[in-house]
Amino acid sequence: MQPLLQLEGISKSFWGIRALDGAGLSVARGEVHALTGENGAGKSTLMKIVAGIERPDSGAIRFTGSAVAMIHQELLPFPEMTVAENICMGAEPANAFGWLDKSAMHHRAAELLARLGVDVMPGARMGDLSFAEQQSVEISKAVGQQADLLIMDEPTSALSDRECERLFRIIGDLKQRGVAVIYISHRMDEIFRLADTITVMRDGRPVATRPASGFDEATLISLMVGRDFDAALVRQPAQTGEVALEVRKLTREAKFRDITFTLRAGEILGLAGLIGAGRTEIASAIFGLDPAGSGDIVVRGRSVRIGSPADALAQGIAMVTEDRKRYGFVGDMGVRENVTLSSLRRYSAGGFVRRGAEDAAADEQIRALSIRAAGREQQVKYLSGGNQQKVVLARALLSDPAILILDEPTRGVDVGAKAEIYGLIARLARQGKAILLVSSEMNEILALSDRILVIREGAIAAEVTPSRTTPEEILSYAMPQ
Amino acid sequence: MTKTRKWPPQLGLAIALAVLMAGLAAARPGFITLGNLVNLVRQISINGILAVGVTYVLLTGGVDLSLGSLVALTGVIAATFAHPGEYAVVVPVSAGIAAGALCGAINGVLVTRGRMAPFVVTLGMMTSARGLALLASGGRPVSNLSTAFTRIGSGDFAGIPAPTWILLAVAAASHVFLRNMRMGRHVYAVGGNESAARASGVHVNKVKMVCYTVCGAMAGLAGVVLASRITTGQPNAGIGYELDAIAAVVIGGTSLNGGTGGVSGTILGALLIGVINNGLDLLNVSSYYQQVIKGVIIVGAVWLDRSKKS
Amino acid sequence: MKRSSGPVAALALAGCLLQACSSSGSAKKGPVIGVSLLNVSNEFIVMINQAMDAKAKELGVQIIVNDAQRSADRQVEQVESFIAQKVDAIILNPCEVEASSPAVDKAIAAGIPIVNVNSETRSTPTAFVGSRDEEAARIAMEYIAKRLNGKGNVTMMQGFMGQAGQIKRDTGAREVLAKNPGLKLIAQQTAEWDRAKAMSLMENWIQSYGARINAVFAQNDEMAMGALIALEQARLKDKVIVVGVDAIADALAAVRDGRLDATVFQDARGQGAAAVETAVRIVRKQPYEKSVMIPFQLVTRDNVAQFH
Repeated sequence: MQPLLQLEGISKSFWGIRALDGAGLSVARGEVHALTGENGAGKSTLMKIVAGIERPDSGAIRFTGSAVAMIHQELLPFPEMTVAENICMGAEPANAFGWLDKSAMHHRAAELLARLGVDVMPGARMGDLSFAEQQSVEISKAVGQQADLLIMDEPTSALSDRECERLFRIIGDLKQRGVAVIYISHRMDEIFRLADTITVMRDGRPVATRPASGFDEATLISLMVGRDFDAALVRQPAQTGEVALEVRKLTREAKFRDITFTLRAGEILGLAGLIGAGRTEIASAIFGLDPAGSGDIVVRGRSVRIGSPADALAQGIAMVTEDRKRYGFVGDMGVRENVTLSSLRRYSAGGFVRRGAEDAAADEQIRALSIRAAGREQQVKYLSGGNQQKVVLARALLSDPAILILDEPTRGVDVGAKAEIYGLIARLARQGKAILLVSSEMNEILALSDRILVIREGAIAAEVTPSRTTPEEILSYAMPQ
Repeated sequence: MTKTRKWPPQLGLAIALAVLMAGLAAARPGFITLGNLVNLVRQISINGILAVGVTYVLLTGGVDLSLGSLVALTGVIAATFAHPGEYAVVVPVSAGIAAGALCGAINGVLVTRGRMAPFVVTLGMMTSARGLALLASGGRPVSNLSTAFTRIGSGDFAGIPAPTWILLAVAAASHVFLRNMRMGRHVYAVGGNESAARASGVHVNKVKMVCYTVCGAMAGLAGVVLASRITTGQPNAGIGYELDAIAAVVIGGTSLNGGTGGVSGTILGALLIGVINNGLDLLNVSSYYQQVIKGVIIVGAVWLDRSKKS
Repeated sequence: MKRSSGPVAALALAGCLLQACSSSGSAKKGPVIGVSLLNVSNEFIVMINQAMDAKAKELGVQIIVNDAQRSADRQVEQVESFIAQKVDAIILNPCEVEASSPAVDKAIAAGIPIVNVNSETRSTPTAFVGSRDEEAARIAMEYIAKRLNGKGNVTMMQGFMGQAGQIKRDTGAREVLAKNPGLKLIAQQTAEWDRAKAMSLMENWIQSYGARINAVFAQNDEMAMGALIALEQARLKDKVIVVGVDAIADALAAVRDGRLDATVFQDARGQGAAAVETAVRIVRKQPYEKSVMIPFQLVTRDNVAQFH
């Protein structure tokens, strides 16, 4: 029988970075197809292409069904409208004059919700519902639009156990009706429970597609982690110095709790875990971007209050954030202005910027980090991802921090720049900087860290030493139990 | 990929301005006389001062709709202190500027601490300040002003009108502030990417406070110059002035989203609007056509400017 | 929770202020008259308002004054709320000929007498008190014709284009120009009733025509004052006659000082007082005139002393 969806040779690059590299996939009607793989393997990009949100650079898509619907990880509902209005969005029943037929709308919504066994009133305001209820409404909407392929991107990441059960029941029901579901997830138990077929993706293409019965948990994990470890990357354990940063019982409600650790000068401490485990939130709290609710931050033996990044910088803490576009740089400004933004005081006198000193500092950073730009005045928005990241690093370094927080420092960075950034991180540790490294890339965190804390659901699940652990062990700690 | 700004900023606009002036000179030889050029630079002074002030706010990605009302309020306040034989001329001038700065600072506090949209905050100030101007003046123009005061608007130095000198001074100071001072750099950073500016240790609220306060102070200065020029403090003066000022800034290449642009463009923008007004009057174009032509020229000039850049 | 205390306190304070501001005329017996004025930031309207207040006190009636702030929409709403409050009569100082008409229709339909003051609406009110704008322009232009002996170049500064005042003053001025073929209208342009705009316009005219201009007719005194200042700064005032309309305080002072040649006195106080008086007569069922015309007067240096 002809498959519902057939993808062949799909490639896609962003800013010169390859996200998909000749990916293919085949999904049959009424099949639950699990898609798994490490962060950045290209799962979400591939699904965005299927849903028509992104265009592929090359490749063929054959879809024989009538409609595709995607349930995003972050739902995109209209919170001020009713459930019925959300469900009928874009296909509102109306008479010839464009007059909305509210009762028909209500009726259709009630029928869809009942069919899927969703216990929500059609007249309720969307914003008043829980996340799980909103998700059910979105699924109802997709079914109402006659979608015969439904893509779910980590749908259980914010659900309780009971809510998960209900979702699984709905998925089973959809399958009965011949709707195919592509299910993106990291959670082993869910994958094995739901999937008919499992595809593992790595480095922008599927590396294995088999019936679920053809996998066991261990093979799945090793396929996800992939290539053997690049032993050459492993850093020599550093000479560590005094305690630079101490974090005690740092807590922010619903995000992370009781985070306690110490970080020494010259040490690289890795924070591993799944996306959404709370690592970025912990890092942001220490840097003051989003201050913690309770707990202490002790810098060089003194308890400090950090309410803003300006406070953190004054304490010698700098951070390279995960969301580069949002927090990293000012795109309309040149390399020079971005690089000196955190330390402009040093390059000014009496409030006036000393351009000579500033130019020299910028040039030095461009050279030291081999930032490839048309010159120090080139606007950062026109640089490649890797060079943008080096600009952000340069800005952090120029503030001369004792403590450096790096959140996904090589995300969206090409291989060459990645190696340069690794070298730089190792060099900084040798120079005695205390480094807190958040990374979702297993190789990266294992190669660079002296110690690794595995964060699971907002708490420290384990501390491991890279030389005596395996990616599989880390992943097993990171997986929600 | 490696795009740089090869086209100097505002060159397109400068060309548009030159073409327009050449056309006017051909159509009306009187346009290019020394007398009319002096006239022109005097007439753009008030809008120019307002536009320089609102450039600060627009650079942060905000907006200030209260300028016209502030002109009226500060003009009335200045005029109240400017009757002959009462105070030295410095008193009305500083009272006007200080009142403007205070109103601007109130806008700033509401935008930063109050976390309200600049549009709403300054719309409220626009209404309240107009009311205060009427209250302070009892609804009547405040006249009988000292010649020392009216000389600010009517005097000249080295053949150039005093208001033009004032505009040149604030424009030059603002250019230096925004381009060469640390705080100026922070203004661009906040407008370009507020989150990144904060993550870089920039005190975002402080920067915005400075911008709104400076903008208010400039409106105060414009109010003083206007009151001096028309020799009265008029509570109903300045209606719609904010739009001309914002138009000058945007024509000059400052983005309404903030982060790019600057004072030099603003001055060119103010000049363009001034040349259109002056030229159409000289050609005695009917009032109805004037409005149509003005709109077409403004949009055309910006289109020319933007298409040269991309 | 703590954050919200500020705004709440501010609103409470604003409420108290409103209370204080509106406590002027409370529960007095006698007729109540609702008044909707064009714009109280206009000096002329302020004078009408003051005359109304004085007359109301004299006749022992209560008046409620609303400011329409030049918006006909707002004016209609204000009249609607007067109707809802069941006032005894309404005085309307219309913003616009067409757009303010519904206010008159609604009052008539509700059986409440309505008196238009100063300018007209398309709908016919119970009574009209005012002056003919055409007449003011005619008086001003005739003065110019006389001073120039019927021969010379004239420019005209127009009000806000499309407003009744501008249209009628245009009409009146043109009648006189037609009768005096020696007078040539070399330029006309709007300065939107605004002094600063009039000043810039005059400067531009000076550049264009210089001493060829013999007289300037400004459709209101604000613009006349702007033109006057521009001419004085160009040291041309002794060669150009400037005439305005409305006789505002600034203009009267300028006439007295020999700077402004003339203005036309529109009797704001007379209009305000007559409007209240007519309204009260209607309410008390006394005989009244359906159309009360308050005459204009030319103000020159010779008679300026009669006008305070």
